[in-house]
Amino acid sequence: MIQMQGITKTYSLGELNVPILKGIDLSIAAGEYVAIMGMSGSGKSTLMNIIGCLDRASSGNYTLNGVDLTTLDDDQLAYIRNQQIGFVFQQFNLLTRSTALENVMLPMVYGGLPLSQRRDRATEVLFKVGLGDRLLNRPSQLSGGQQQRVAIARALVNQPALILADEPTGALDQKTSQEVMDLLTELNQQGITIALVTHEQDVASQTQRMIYIQDGLVLSQGKPLIPQGGIV
Amino acid sequence: MAIPPSHHTPSPSLLEVVGMAIDSLRNNRLRTGLTMLGMIIGIGAVITVTSVGRGAQKSVEQQIQSLGSNVLTVMAGASSRGGISQGIGSASTLTWEDAKVAAEQVTLAEAVSAYLQKAQTQVVYGSENTTTTIIGTDLNYPKVKNIYPQQGQFFTQDELDAALSVAVLGSKVRDQLFSQENAIGLDIRIQGKRYRVIGVMESKGAGGIQDQDDSVYIPLTNMSSELVGNNALSGIAITGFVLSTRNTDELDAAQFQVSNLLRLRHDIYPPQADDFNIINQVNLIDTLGTIISLFTVMVTAIAGISLVVGGIGIANIMLVSVVERTREIGIRKALGATRSAILSQFLVEAVVVSAIGGGIGVIFGIGVSIAASLALSIPLVISLDSIAAGLTLSVGIGLLAGVIPAQSAAKLDPIVALRSE
Ligand SMILES: Nc1ncnc2c1ncn2[C@@H]1O[C@H](COP(=O)(O)OP(=O)(O)OP(=O)(O)O)[C@@H](O)[C@H]1O
Ligand SMILES: [Mg+2]
Repeated sequence: MIQMQGITKTYSLGELNVPILKGIDLSIAAGEYVAIMGMSGSGKSTLMNIIGCLDRASSGNYTLNGVDLTTLDDDQLAYIRNQQIGFVFQQFNLLTRSTALENVMLPMVYGGLPLSQRRDRATEVLFKVGLGDRLLNRPSQLSGGQQQRVAIARALVNQPALILADEPTGALDQKTSQEVMDLLTELNQQGITIALVTHEQDVASQTQRMIYIQDGLVLSQGKPLIPQGGIV
Repeated sequence: MAIPPSHHTPSPSLLEVVGMAIDSLRNNRLRTGLTMLGMIIGIGAVITVTSVGRGAQKSVEQQIQSLGSNVLTVMAGASSRGGISQGIGSASTLTWEDAKVAAEQVTLAEAVSAYLQKAQTQVVYGSENTTTTIIGTDLNYPKVKNIYPQQGQFFTQDELDAALSVAVLGSKVRDQLFSQENAIGLDIRIQGKRYRVIGVMESKGAGGIQDQDDSVYIPLTNMSSELVGNNALSGIAITGFVLSTRNTDELDAAQFQVSNLLRLRHDIYPPQADDFNIINQVNLIDTLGTIISLFTVMVTAIAGISLVVGGIGIANIMLVSVVERTREIGIRKALGATRSAILSQFLVEAVVVSAIGGGIGVIFGIGVSIAASLALSIPLVISLDSIAAGLTLSVGIGLLAGVIPAQSAAKLDPIVALRSE
């Protein structure tokens, strides 16, 4: 599913060039459940943003689902974010003035689905994450765990092949963290590829594989497990 | 996986974007209201100014029309002897005889009335007094000027011939001298001389060149002998005469006839200057109309400035709102919004705010126009074209004001936007 070779990312601060990623080689197979770990500032979020097509690498090759992303323009990357990838953020990143239902409908707005279909599907997915009774609540009327479940519903709603979660439990207590992890594990069992960033060992240990990043390089990544589908 | 070519990726329809814009505006009522305010005032001012301007124009036209659109006023001018102008008022160049001959010889004339006029004259009744214009004239005056006694009557041929001291009051003079009393039969004093009131004229309303309501009418013969000592070369000097034609079309031809007649009688050969002036009511309407419409255009331009200010207000608040909503923009982009989707969202928001503001402004402007027309007692003129222009303008201004904020929103880097607080 994900194949990266020699991915680098350099930020230029004025005259100074700061290399953050220095040649990442990485592959994640379809259906995998991986945790990306590393010290703070090691470049995990930067890597996740590149995987998620929110950012472009300075150099290197990246193919997602067989498509060479380096040749795509901004609109096409937006299309991939919309159709192929679901994001879950540490700070939830819900639209605060919109209801849970409206938040979950948003990816389908940009996917060009008609309103009736959007409402049905968003409702269905919110039921699936256990928030069927909170459709019309705004984020401020929900607990952190509930907000993160809305965010997961939003990530799911366009039926992406890949869910990227950057410290999804970072803002939650242990009990709600576990609820969110159970939900992600369940989704992975249904066949969705999941990559998450975490600092917590017991979160990481629930995944199938851990990838360590240090000094802008992959320190260790174990062996890509090849479950049912094989590498796409 | 198939990736559609660039710019063919799916995007929400315009209708959808308008719906999103309305939702977002509804979620920020205070901001929306403040943004609209500039537009409401700007469009309201433009609608009000144009409708009041046009109302005033119509009102002046109506008043001039009521004075008679078929009337020529011939006034004595500067006398010139041996080609040297003596200046206006040096001696009256028109006599009653001129008016009488004009009545006979100008074939297009329906009626002619000579008058002698004295402005700023004190009129007294008991302890009340007022300063007004005295008009000495003949029996044709009511017919030519289309103004008739409402009470009592105008003086008769006998009273004119006998130069009796009788007076017909304009309605305003009556109001100023007599409170509730019936003025007919009472005596007033003009320049200390006693006159008997025999009639009160109907009210024609203020306006035009001279306020007919603020006048006192007396026999020309009496005026000439008792109140003024104008020197004429021969005969009875007059200020001028008014001449009516049967219809407006004949006015220019009548003017030509009068000019020729008077030049002949006064031995004036062009290029020698005329010793009289002719005011043509139709020309006057045109001139006044032009002045008022120029004035209206000017005031509208000033009101237009408030529209520009309103537009800048929208741009300003939209810019602030882009900064305030940076994170929202980041989220939308992360979920697959393209640049053009963000651009159209903010552009449409600006246009919707501005158009709704413009719509409210139109209603507000119509309201103020109605109030103004009642307060100033001018006709209410609200034209569809100014409403259409107001709405078009507000949409245009919204579009212009939205461009820069929308572009800056669309340009935001999704990661930077997501990280912002
Ligand atoms: N836009 C930027 N410009 C300059 N430097 C940046 C920028 N974004 C990130 N960095 C730097 O890149 C480095 C890696 O940042 P990144 O957010 O990827 O770390 P991280 O591994 O996710 O850390 P954490 O665990 O604290 O979230 C940091 O030193 C950060 O300061
Ligand atoms: Mg991070």
